[in-house]
Amino acid sequence: MDRAETQMAGKSVAKGKRKKAVRGASRGWSTNGAQAAPAKWVGQPIRRKEENRLVSGKGIFVDDEKMPGMLHIKFVRSSYAHARITRVDVSKAEKFPGVVCTLTGAEIKKQVQPFIEIGPGGAQKIADYPMAVDKVVFQGEPVAAVVAETRLAAEDAAEFVEVDYEPLPPVVTAEDALKDDSVLHSAMGTNRNWHGVFEYGNVEKAMKQAAHVVHIGRLHFHRFSSTPLECNVILVNWDPRSGDIEYHCNNTFPSFASQFLAPALGVRIDQIHMKSFDIGGGFGIKITSYPYMAVCALASRKAGGRAVKWAETRIEHMQASAHGNERTFLDTRVALDKNGVILAIDSKHVDDCGAFPRYEPLGCVIWAQVLPATYRVKNIRIDMHQVVTNKCPVGPNRGYSRMQHLWFMERVIDICGQTLGISADDMRLRNYIRKNEMPYKTPNGCVYDSGDYANMLALAKNLVGWDEWKNKQAAARKDGRWIGLGIGSTLDSGTNNFGQARIINPDAPFSGQSKVGIVKLDIYGEVVVSMGSVPQGQGHETAAAQVVADALGITPELVNVRPGFDTAHNAYTGHTGTYASQFAVTGLTAIHGAAMKLRGELSRLAAWKLQAKEKHLEFGVGAQGPEVRVKGTQKAINYWALANLVNVNNAGMPESLWDVTLNCRHVFHANFQIPDVKRKYGNLTLTYAAQVHAAVLEVDRETFQPKILAYACVDDCGKAVNPRIVEGQVHGAAAHGIGAALLENCAYDSDGNLLAATFSDYTPITAMNMPELLYGHLESPSPFTLNGAKGMGEGGAAPVHTICAALQDALYPSGVIIDDSHNTGDSLFRSLQKAESGGYAGMVRVEHQRASR
Amino acid sequence: MYAAPFSYHRAASLQEAVKLLQELGEDARLIAGGQSLIPLMKMRMARPTALIDINFVSELGDIRTPKGELHIGALVRHADLEHSAAGATIPLLHDCAAGIADVQVRNQGTIGGSLAEADPSGDWGTALLALDTSVICFGPGGQRTVPLEDFIKDAYTTVLAHDEIVTALHVKLPLKGSGGAHLAFKRCAPVYPTASASVQVMIEDGNMCKDARIILGCVGLTAIRAKEAEAALRGKTLEEKNIRTAADAARAAADPQSDMRGSADYKRILVGTLVKRAIGIAARRARGESVEAGHEYAGR
Repeated sequence: MDRAETQMAGKSVAKGKRKKAVRGASRGWSTNGAQAAPAKWVGQPIRRKEENRLVSGKGIFVDDEKMPGMLHIKFVRSSYAHARITRVDVSKAEKFPGVVCTLTGAEIKKQVQPFIEIGPGGAQKIADYPMAVDKVVFQGEPVAAVVAETRLAAEDAAEFVEVDYEPLPPVVTAEDALKDDSVLHSAMGTNRNWHGVFEYGNVEKAMKQAAHVVHIGRLHFHRFSSTPLECNVILVNWDPRSGDIEYHCNNTFPSFASQFLAPALGVRIDQIHMKSFDIGGGFGIKITSYPYMAVCALASRKAGGRAVKWAETRIEHMQASAHGNERTFLDTRVALDKNGVILAIDSKHVDDCGAFPRYEPLGCVIWAQVLPATYRVKNIRIDMHQVVTNKCPVGPNRGYSRMQHLWFMERVIDICGQTLGISADDMRLRNYIRKNEMPYKTPNGCVYDSGDYANMLALAKNLVGWDEWKNKQAAARKDGRWIGLGIGSTLDSGTNNFGQARIINPDAPFSGQSKVGIVKLDIYGEVVVSMGSVPQGQGHETAAAQVVADALGITPELVNVRPGFDTAHNAYTGHTGTYASQFAVTGLTAIHGAAMKLRGELSRLAAWKLQAKEKHLEFGVGAQGPEVRVKGTQKAINYWALANLVNVNNAGMPESLWDVTLNCRHVFHANFQIPDVKRKYGNLTLTYAAQVHAAVLEVDRETFQPKILAYACVDDCGKAVNPRIVEGQVHGAAAHGIGAALLENCAYDSDGNLLAATFSDYTPITAMNMPELLYGHLESPSPFTLNGAKGMGEGGAAPVHTICAALQDALYPSGVIIDDSHNTGDSLFRSLQKAESGGYAGMVRVEHQRASR
Repeated sequence: MYAAPFSYHRAASLQEAVKLLQELGEDARLIAGGQSLIPLMKMRMARPTALIDINFVSELGDIRTPKGELHIGALVRHADLEHSAAGATIPLLHDCAAGIADVQVRNQGTIGGSLAEADPSGDWGTALLALDTSVICFGPGGQRTVPLEDFIKDAYTTVLAHDEIVTALHVKLPLKGSGGAHLAFKRCAPVYPTASASVQVMIEDGNMCKDARIILGCVGLTAIRAKEAEAALRGKTLEEKNIRTAADAARAAADPQSDMRGSADYKRILVGTLVKRAIGIAARRARGESVEAGHEYAGR
């Protein structure tokens, strides 16, 4: 394992002071036996290639696109969370001027197959149609659609669609869902759509041997979302001549969407053509837009093959696109030795996936990528349940499924630490996986590739001024002030092995991971890259250009990276999309592989043309652009001439070079196996980026508002391909997490009405809420990836853990247990009232079994 | 997000605007900055059949300072006040203007529109009540002057007749020895506050409160003048005990409702604290100190 290079860029961005980061010497590609290339551009914090286009209004988003004869669709949605539909009458709407046609759920049911369900058993019986057929199961669920010449006409006419409902009892909480008093999907017969026990080591033995067993009552991770600036947008044409469906849309996992759409719509998968250009953020929440993609295609077909556009409004997005998973943690027992080292954890977790599983129940295993979190605990039993409720279906939301579990683990660490009188930093140091234990095999067979959590913590503490604040805190406490210090340690597991789906459903026909990169030399010698990714702001064009520039010995400006995703580029597999922190590994490895294939072809061509041996050739940029030359001579051939040889001037080329296409495609593979389904054991993810955040905050004694006084983020994503992009992603993820911790909450009332359907109530974080972020960076290169990089960007919701920890520290002396991931001035006021009235009694209980040990 | 159909009319003068209001009937609405009306129309929660645009009526966008008074035209944008000399002389106005919603709203939204909308959470209805403010209204019968305390009757309800228009606000310049502050807590930038407090005090002999005006925002159907809180200060020294009594009286005067901004109990706690802090800042300003204050945001 390489020694981690500590690289810290102590900067205070809000003040605009940018000290130049001191970076270690760049290193070559590390492993996998690939041909080494000098890493000149990889590792440089160059400006993003896409920036100028995006900030000068030249971005192309789906809603900028038009098709001839394009129509507009408006959905009519349920105002009820749970109700039987007794009547849908579209006759008045159909007579409205400008209306071309309408669609109802009952009509759609005759034309499509319900979507595939990933879950086994009863879950297979859920009939997930793209519009409600005879009952609605969440507020905002579409029940009908109006298609018209203009968006205005569609919106006007939609008001004339009449729908009668017979309300049914809504199921709003996970605990109520488990009771099955009211069942959402009668064919499944229960609201519990998945259940499994993840058990490793010997939990009961450890409990018996422990010095202390800490019992923790109900903890709850709240529901929040990502609110990308651009909502879902779909433009589709179902061509009646070819039968092909052409989508321009911002779905960020198009291969997944196609695999759901093709069987539902009854077309061959090759008939689905998908294209995206620029996307205004995604964070996973756009992965499950396929039901709307289905309705829009059916609308196009019914309208006689005219294109149909849907641009989701913010209220539609908040009510009925996707939210993040909500999770409740019950009956937790933690065994510790006399030094506060955790020996075992036993807990029951109930995940709430909303009205339809869709991408779920994959979340029921994805958390297990980080089963022990950053800790050495060996004995773990998690009794995992997932339920459906009358709320918006969930979708993968930045930090998906792992952040809920990591939050739980961080709460366990802090609650146990406080119960036993061990400080937050010490508790972590006693339990962290050590650097010299890397690569570390977790109890469930995952392999943490590299990392140095203790060093990250030291860096975070140093940045935030931990020791100084500790002293200030002690003084402030005497004055009755509530100052708290908190740490959040998280993992951002990336490059997932889809084989983990077998743990959910042994019949799931997918596994492993793949991505495609295509690098070609076009007719005039231009280097063109097509990516199998769906960038949404992550700077893929820039990172790809850096990798290709290094592979060919040229500069990033000479690399033309095709923005966006297009099935026509044929740069896709069934795993293609941008999700789950992986492009730096999967996408860039594929692109590197393609670039190296191209380099090999260019080398062979040049050797023939220059009458030289390949080993005597070198790649670089000459007076006439990129070229291949014979070392130490004037003999060179540029890319135009090389491309010319193959594409337009190939008479006389020896047959031995006829296999050269200059259009090179490479597919990324990882050495994944299918997990042991019975033991729920196997390697679920390739890389583990880590974040350690530290915060100091004060709860105002008179307003109960938490104020962040200092905030530090330390990130380790292995080799940073572009440190500037990495830092930007860390800032974005930190803002998202702070928003979730303090502002953003998809709250529902007991009738299943979403109380945060607009930004006035959801209050996504703004610049006015942001503290100055102190940023530190550590590089522990991954031994399992070509370039030492790890996927990153999700950030594991570190601020949620960190802020909860700091609140806990501030209010523990007042008797408060932070048991929810979302806290506001109002909720803290009520928590303190609860503490005063003894409401937390019994929430945390400790048995000192063998104090002598 | 398209509004229901409506007709658009641009008024060149106040007289024309009044005439259009009369002709187009009860379902016609004036539009100035449009920062409340347009979103409501797009969500089809407001469905005016006609919009009468008064943005092109001249002289409604001026800030003037005739002797002892400040005249603010109804079309003065929040940002205009934020950057005005008036805002510098009366810090309470700057506190308020600089924290309304976000930059876009402050650049477009108008003070007259904000008052005429009479949203219970609007900042101006609270801040201006702490000063001596009159609302100048123009109708078919000409001009009339309504004291601000009589202007807003209820949530979203003013004394304006359908064919009447707010043209200006006349604010009496605070006397020497007085100072004020408008404090508000907001969850994030673009939203209305959870609670706000506007305080104007006049001080004699360093710490004796000669007069006080205490207004609570977002904790009732209209801004609430907390008269018992004022009484707790008037003629007394501004010491901690008296300020605490005033804050407690303010809490008792509040009549909040629970919503996504916070529970009623919490808003009551919050508004009292804002009053307490606003008194402190107002007093320091009355003594000639320069103090930065205004809206506060969750997390920071």
